[in-house]
Amino acid sequence: MEFLSRAASFLRNIFRRRHVDRDLDAEVASYFEILMENNMKNGMDEQSARRAARLEVGGGGQVQDEVRHTQAGAWLQTLWQDIRYATRILIKNPTFTLVAVLTFSIGIGANTAIFSMVNGLLLRPVPVPHTEQLTYLVQRHEGWSNGFKYPIMDEIRKQSGDAFSDVAAVVPFQMDGLAANGGSQPIWNEYVTTNFFSLASVTPALGSFMATDTKNIAGNDAVLVLSHAYWQTHFAGDPNIVGHAATLNGRPITIIGVAPKGFRGLTPVFDAQGYVPLGLLASMQGQKPNSDTSSVIVFGRLRDGVDLAKAQSVLAVVAQRLAQEFPKTEKSLVLRAALLGSGIIGGNGANPVPAIAAIFLVLAGLVLALASANVANLLLVRAIARTREMAVRSALGAARGRLVRQVLTETLMLALLGFAGGAALGYIGSRALGSVDLRTDLPLLLDFSFDWHVFMFALGAAGLVSLLAGLVPALRGSRVDLNEVMRESGRGVSSGKQRFRSALVVAQVSGSLTLLIVAGLFVRSMINAQQVDLGFNPNQVVNFGVDAHAGGYDEPRGREFYRTLLERTRTMPGVESASLAATVPMGPISLGGAMHVEGFAETPGQPKPSANMNAVSPAYLKTMGISLLHGRDILESDSETAQHVALVNEVMAQRYWPGQDPIGHQFSTGEDFKNVIQVVGVVKNSHTSSLSETIDPAYYVPMMQEYRAAQTLQVRSSVAPSTAMQAVRGLVRSLDTNVPVFDVRTMNDALNGMDGLLLYRMGAGLAGMLGLLGFILAVIGVYGVMSYSAAQRTREIGIRVALGAKPAQVLKIVFRQGLFIVGLGLVIGTAVALALGKVVAGFLVGVGGADPLTYLVVGIAMTVAALTACFVPARRAMKVDPMIALRYE
Amino acid sequence: MGDKQTELLQGTLDMLILKTLALGALHGVAVAARIEQVTQGTFQVGPGSLFPALHRMEEKGWLKASWGESETKRKAKFYELTKPGRRQLETEKERWKTISVAVSRALEI
Repeated sequence: MEFLSRAASFLRNIFRRRHVDRDLDAEVASYFEILMENNMKNGMDEQSARRAARLEVGGGGQVQDEVRHTQAGAWLQTLWQDIRYATRILIKNPTFTLVAVLTFSIGIGANTAIFSMVNGLLLRPVPVPHTEQLTYLVQRHEGWSNGFKYPIMDEIRKQSGDAFSDVAAVVPFQMDGLAANGGSQPIWNEYVTTNFFSLASVTPALGSFMATDTKNIAGNDAVLVLSHAYWQTHFAGDPNIVGHAATLNGRPITIIGVAPKGFRGLTPVFDAQGYVPLGLLASMQGQKPNSDTSSVIVFGRLRDGVDLAKAQSVLAVVAQRLAQEFPKTEKSLVLRAALLGSGIIGGNGANPVPAIAAIFLVLAGLVLALASANVANLLLVRAIARTREMAVRSALGAARGRLVRQVLTETLMLALLGFAGGAALGYIGSRALGSVDLRTDLPLLLDFSFDWHVFMFALGAAGLVSLLAGLVPALRGSRVDLNEVMRESGRGVSSGKQRFRSALVVAQVSGSLTLLIVAGLFVRSMINAQQVDLGFNPNQVVNFGVDAHAGGYDEPRGREFYRTLLERTRTMPGVESASLAATVPMGPISLGGAMHVEGFAETPGQPKPSANMNAVSPAYLKTMGISLLHGRDILESDSETAQHVALVNEVMAQRYWPGQDPIGHQFSTGEDFKNVIQVVGVVKNSHTSSLSETIDPAYYVPMMQEYRAAQTLQVRSSVAPSTAMQAVRGLVRSLDTNVPVFDVRTMNDALNGMDGLLLYRMGAGLAGMLGLLGFILAVIGVYGVMSYSAAQRTREIGIRVALGAKPAQVLKIVFRQGLFIVGLGLVIGTAVALALGKVVAGFLVGVGGADPLTYLVVGIAMTVAALTACFVPARRAMKVDPMIALRYE
Repeated sequence: MGDKQTELLQGTLDMLILKTLALGALHGVAVAARIEQVTQGTFQVGPGSLFPALHRMEEKGWLKASWGESETKRKAKFYELTKPGRRQLETEKERWKTISVAVSRALEI
């Protein structure tokens, strides 16, 4: 009842403010009149009656004010007042407001964007039930790897039932050609064991998943499950798709179901478009059955109540047993399970993404710390500058709680503005990171979308800092000894706080120096990467991915198809040279492996001989502009039946035939090293898999002797790339509409892809941006503190000048403090950067983690900037007119 | 009696006002006069404490306010007790009795 009544009054007070006020005024006026009337009734004359009444009621709405304080909703009125006052103050100091808000925004925004990226790459759980039970397995032979041979995986599955309810295997990233309604379309499939979907615990959106036979989980039914997205885009969500007969790579297959919406398999980053039983992999990819050269990725779902530690101990037993069962191949096997979402698959040294992500997280964290320090600094400085205002208001009767609330309101408004800016920046940033063109047709899912968790984190961190930074001075300011402050003005500042602010600035200078150095290293590395002598000439070359196999061609017909394609391409106008290759430099496919080199003594303990391989057609060297140093090129006569031959690069020649002419020597590859290959030529080194300095041994074999179902047609022509692209696409279509053409791009574009320059570019861009942000923040910080402390000392300087101090001496006083702070920051920053440089060094091209030039340039830039920031206030101090300084206040 | 003392005796003031209004609706000046008269001048309630108290109690729903005419035909705001106000008066009386008995005993010892 009482509450209802209060609530009604609250609403009335808020929404009918004017009415309530007018009513109150009328009531007070009537009170006054009646009082006066009574006074006159008691015998006073009109004038004294009025005076007596006036004396009692008071003027200027005092009574009304008293009433208003007790009214329901009074706090809201106060808040509104505080907000209006804070707004006025913020508008009156636009520089301060802008700097503080921008600082907040930058810190929160950068952090949010980068955290979103890391989140998307590493941390975001896959959308399936009970992800906390999902693990992937890794094994160690010589190094850790997540690739398993299928039979071993199957043994693990059978023997680890105590820990895992399901163990499934997948082979992702397989491009097939799906022909359902005439014309074949590329589809990126994941080949999965039939228990894959039960492991994932998902149910089909339509139809069914593969039938599971626990004896043989690889499965042999020619069935296909489509992803929801592929079903929507390629079949327009046709509800009658289940049971639809189609062909995959020319072989009949039945579409049996559609995976649920949003399900993208368990392999991070890969956005699988279809799922095919693993048992079909060999035949679909045109490999001999049971050639277990391909490795599978293994997932396990923990049983209810089984934790990771238990699973590890079960796996340890299994590994031991397998080592005994297969002493030849699995002698030193170690098995481990890792939780899905605890890092990208393959994130055990083989894949640089987690390390790079971690580095950027550290850098972004540094920016946030710098931003927070800056805001704290700004607020502290301002609070001290306002000590006098606080004292005056306090002297005029403002309650302490009221003052604290006022300052907090201001801080929170700043923070809110900063959050808004940070959200916008973070959103734009994560969008920009997510929309980077990866220059591949692979369906990669880089979902760097703005993540609310991340944003809340950044917001919380910055919010806490601002609250502390606002609260401490507010409490202090409201407790000041009024007398002292009023009398001594600005000199009532404790030196302890000054020291704290100086420490903040030292931290800022060192933090931003670290950021800048790392940024510098990345930028230098990118420049180096761009200037690396590739060993081939990418200009004027266009690549076309062609997959005859996906068009339903078997090997003999495929060979014929590619021969015709090459012949026709060469007759097209403008074509200078055309050739076929199994892989392109910096492309997603890398071939090669272990080999046996005749006459090369293998040292035990050293890695076995291995090399990268590419299968190419004649004229490849001409198309790519790779020079033949010695011997002969691959010729048309190097046919399927002729002696197998190879061209080797300089590194391979030197490593395995040091001091000799490699031509005529032999090495062998393949299963049991039965494929004997004779070296017929030596070619110049070229960067094929990365831009780092070390070039791996590599050899080229004739495509005719190492047939590949999917090949890349490379065309060097004098016509514009777009013209060439159109012409070749048309050519393939005219040969067979079922053969898909994909990954069509210029060689230069391809070089900028995932494995090429893209990472260097992104790295340099990101690091550069963070470095710049840190730089700006540090300059703001140094400037803020120096100019404040110079202003604080205006009186002192005035006295000194009055006593005859020379401008140079004044300059020295102000500068000395700045120099000390900056110097200390530089030393600490360099030390931190050296430590971080060691970590980063692995990702740099042609530059070490302790590159002296970078350190020098960045150090000088930082010093100059910081000293300039000191110089401005110092100059102002130098010009202090003693008369004005001393007369002030 | 000044504002400072009234603050201390806020509960008392509320009770006095409720008691004063228990006999019928009155306007502000009349309330103040009646209290002064009844307490024989011990409590002089100025508008600075009377108005906040009246409005606070009105917002709590103990009093009801309405415009009316004074004895001299002046427009004035009249306050009267509501049902919850009456209940509140009883509560306050009980409380006061307990306190005054307790305090008197304490002082007698």
